[in-house]
Amino acid sequence: MSLIQLYIPSDVSRYTVSQLGELGLIQFRDLNADVSAFQRSFVQSVRRFDEVERKLRYLRTQIEKTDVDVYEFLDEDFASAARSPRDIDEMEEKISAHEGRVLDLTRAYKNLQLKHLELVENKYVLEEVSSLFSEMTGRQQPAQGASLSTSGGSRDGAPLLSRQETMSRRSIGSLDAARSAGGFDVEHGSVVGHDINVGFVTGVIPRDRIATLERVLWRSLRGNMFLNYVDIEEPIHDPRQEEPVYKSAFIVFAHGESLRDRATKIATSLGATLYHVDSSAERRQEDLIDTMSRIDDLHQILENNHVARITELTGVSEQINTWFTVVRKEKAIYHTLNLFNHDNNRDCLIAEGWCASNDIPAIQSALHIATEDAGSNVPTILHELRTTKEPPTFIRTNKFTEGFQNIIDAYGVPKAGEVNPGLFATITFPFLFALMFGDLGHGFLMTLCAGLMCVYERKLSWLAKSESLAMFYTGRYIVLMMGIFSMFTGFVYNDIFSRAMWTFASGWAWPTDKGGEGVPVEATKLSHVYAIGIDPAWHHASNSLLFTNSYKMK
Amino acid sequence: MNEIYFNVDGGFLEGILRGYRDGLLTTHQYMNLTQCDTMDDLKLQLATTDYGPFLQNEPSPMSTSTLSARCTDALVQEFQYLQQNSAEPISKFLDYITYGYMIDNVILLITGTLHERDTHDLLDKCHPLGFFDTMPALCVATTVQELYNTVMVDSPLAGYFRECLSAEDLNELNIEIIRNTLYKAYLEDFSRYCETLGDPTATVMGEVLKFEADRRTVNITINSFGTELSKEERAKLYPRLGNMYPEAQTKLARVDDMDQVKAVLEQYSEYRMMLAGVNLNASSGGAGGNDLSLEDRFFAREVQLNKESFEQQFHYGVFYSWLRLKEQEIRNVVWIAECISQQQKDKVGNYTAIY
Repeated sequence: MSLIQLYIPSDVSRYTVSQLGELGLIQFRDLNADVSAFQRSFVQSVRRFDEVERKLRYLRTQIEKTDVDVYEFLDEDFASAARSPRDIDEMEEKISAHEGRVLDLTRAYKNLQLKHLELVENKYVLEEVSSLFSEMTGRQQPAQGASLSTSGGSRDGAPLLSRQETMSRRSIGSLDAARSAGGFDVEHGSVVGHDINVGFVTGVIPRDRIATLERVLWRSLRGNMFLNYVDIEEPIHDPRQEEPVYKSAFIVFAHGESLRDRATKIATSLGATLYHVDSSAERRQEDLIDTMSRIDDLHQILENNHVARITELTGVSEQINTWFTVVRKEKAIYHTLNLFNHDNNRDCLIAEGWCASNDIPAIQSALHIATEDAGSNVPTILHELRTTKEPPTFIRTNKFTEGFQNIIDAYGVPKAGEVNPGLFATITFPFLFALMFGDLGHGFLMTLCAGLMCVYERKLSWLAKSESLAMFYTGRYIVLMMGIFSMFTGFVYNDIFSRAMWTFASGWAWPTDKGGEGVPVEATKLSHVYAIGIDPAWHHASNSLLFTNSYKMK
Repeated sequence: MNEIYFNVDGGFLEGILRGYRDGLLTTHQYMNLTQCDTMDDLKLQLATTDYGPFLQNEPSPMSTSTLSARCTDALVQEFQYLQQNSAEPISKFLDYITYGYMIDNVILLITGTLHERDTHDLLDKCHPLGFFDTMPALCVATTVQELYNTVMVDSPLAGYFRECLSAEDLNELNIEIIRNTLYKAYLEDFSRYCETLGDPTATVMGEVLKFEADRRTVNITINSFGTELSKEERAKLYPRLGNMYPEAQTKLARVDDMDQVKAVLEQYSEYRMMLAGVNLNASSGGAGGNDLSLEDRFFAREVQLNKESFEQQFHYGVFYSWLRLKEQEIRNVVWIAECISQQQKDKVGNYTAIY
């Protein structure tokens, strides 16, 4: 490891750090440790990218909300190559423009949805209230077709009493109030309320609040009211909440203005929305038809808006991964630049860092590329320092040794220059495992499994992100080695799926004449010895453990 | 015995809670916050704390009211997580904690209705932890009787209303009397409930609630100077617990100004030390250093008591203490934010540090 010092001219600085970042061979030291985080030179740039990242996050949530596919595509050229400040500015402008447009579209969509909500609730209220009215007048309305009580005459109140619960309707409240209201004018199917002054309030309320509404209205109006409600089957999408909400349409009858006002206030304060419903059936029909046509129009507009949003977001989704990567890299570049010593007079940055001595040529060529990209004539100077400081530990691993090195590092990272136990661990660790595992059959299964993971490792790379399977995937080479060694020891222990193999002639013979149940027998030793591994005769012996344990230890 | 069985129901929650406690800001972090020059710097500094996820999606010029609202959201979310994962008896304890907020919400709604403000605005201003089912219906009540019969009788605060049903109408003075009567009943009820919970909870909560009662006694006394509140009525508002009950309360009921208050309080050792060097006439947030107001001293003592409750294990007092400490922290952060945004950096040191 050597401690190197770089003198970087300011205009080349970003390109240099970008190239060095792609290489990943230097660990920079913080030359500004005494300065607080806000007083470093490049804080503004970091903040600017924080803002851009926030906009990207917003766009990503919008994409997920509308179920547009996010492309996993990463524009390698843009993301890895040197980016000039102009490219970055362009990208930032594009992102801001997209964000502005998406914000506008979303707002418009929300407004339209609110209007739609009102119309839909209005329609439900009209429908349900019409059926409630027809039920209460006891007259068969051609549109409703509700079943009647027998008399079918102007018996007000009686249908209420004799009606069974057909759909999910419940009624509470003083029936006397409704009955003494002077009757419902049957011929016109409307409420004659002029002289007796029974009016009603209709609206829609979330289903879980209806019980509270009943209670509060009952108490507050001292029972001088009649509430009837119907649950609306389909859930309604309220744009203010995340999920669709189940609601009920209700109608409250009350004597007099003041009681109705109080009912209105209570209902609105508990979150109900009130809609005006006319008392005559024809006008209700007209209102219903009118509302439905407005709903259709609004559907059309909503569709258009939705399509526009999806197009916009699809355009964004193609590039959003690239943008995220670029923004993160830029932030990292500026964080790294904050670690450098900014020499104002000579207009250059001084960086110090550790790198492996073998890597210095690679770093030199990276610096050269960066200078070319920036189009500058001033080269970056790399200077090796002599130091007695202790270098950080750098162990080069490939995909095979990485797993073993992780296990060793978990016990403690070796100091620089120490012998790395990770080298030996590639053999000793699987071997010790195999000594304890020792089964040819199970070892074969392990090897097969790990082998498949290794062969298809590109396709299975998503496993690395899953919570439970990540450990198996990242350790596939370890498992492979363990499996191979287990097969070897399984062969030596003569154990396949916990059964013995009689590959060679056994060195012991069991007596055929003696024996029976519960009678101990002794095997006689033959002249030859079993060729390789533990004799299969041991498998049936009662003192097999005594022998095999000490054997395995050795 | 309590130690053996506590973890069966309470172990998970206590573990989560101690994790929350570790997320409270330390003195070092407060130093960093005071060195910020703009709100953006403050947001950057808070990004690494527990408040980070709540603040990161706010667009850049952030106001102190947004900051305060988001920090309160963080608090509410953490508390609601505890509530949703609790079973009896912890859930009842957590419910008791929320009754205090319910009282505040009820008073807010009644006052707002009297001044004829819009219902939905009022509901938005209510504290989310003190929300109960029939609360929105408060907006229609006009007299206390109606208030009780329509709304409160279903709510958990029903029992506390018995003592204030005698007030005839609602006007400014009477609303404050209602608030204090409700809170007095709540404190006494809470204290009785804590006694039934057995040893470590009872002692820890006992200390904390006694201090709360003493503090309210002193505040009621000081606030009632110069108003139409008669001395008997003032005495009725004092909670019947605390170190000042009953002797000091009878004395305090008769005082008329600040010096007499000081004279009464000096007889109690813990309050004598608190009063040393206090500028009794300053309101909160004096010039820092020794010239603190009485309110700041009370906050400091409250923080100390709450920190001590974490020294013991296997009791429910930690839930209450954490909530109070977190509120104090939010007050601190908002104070610092206000000082920064109004460019009055000299007063920025006036927060009560916790750790």
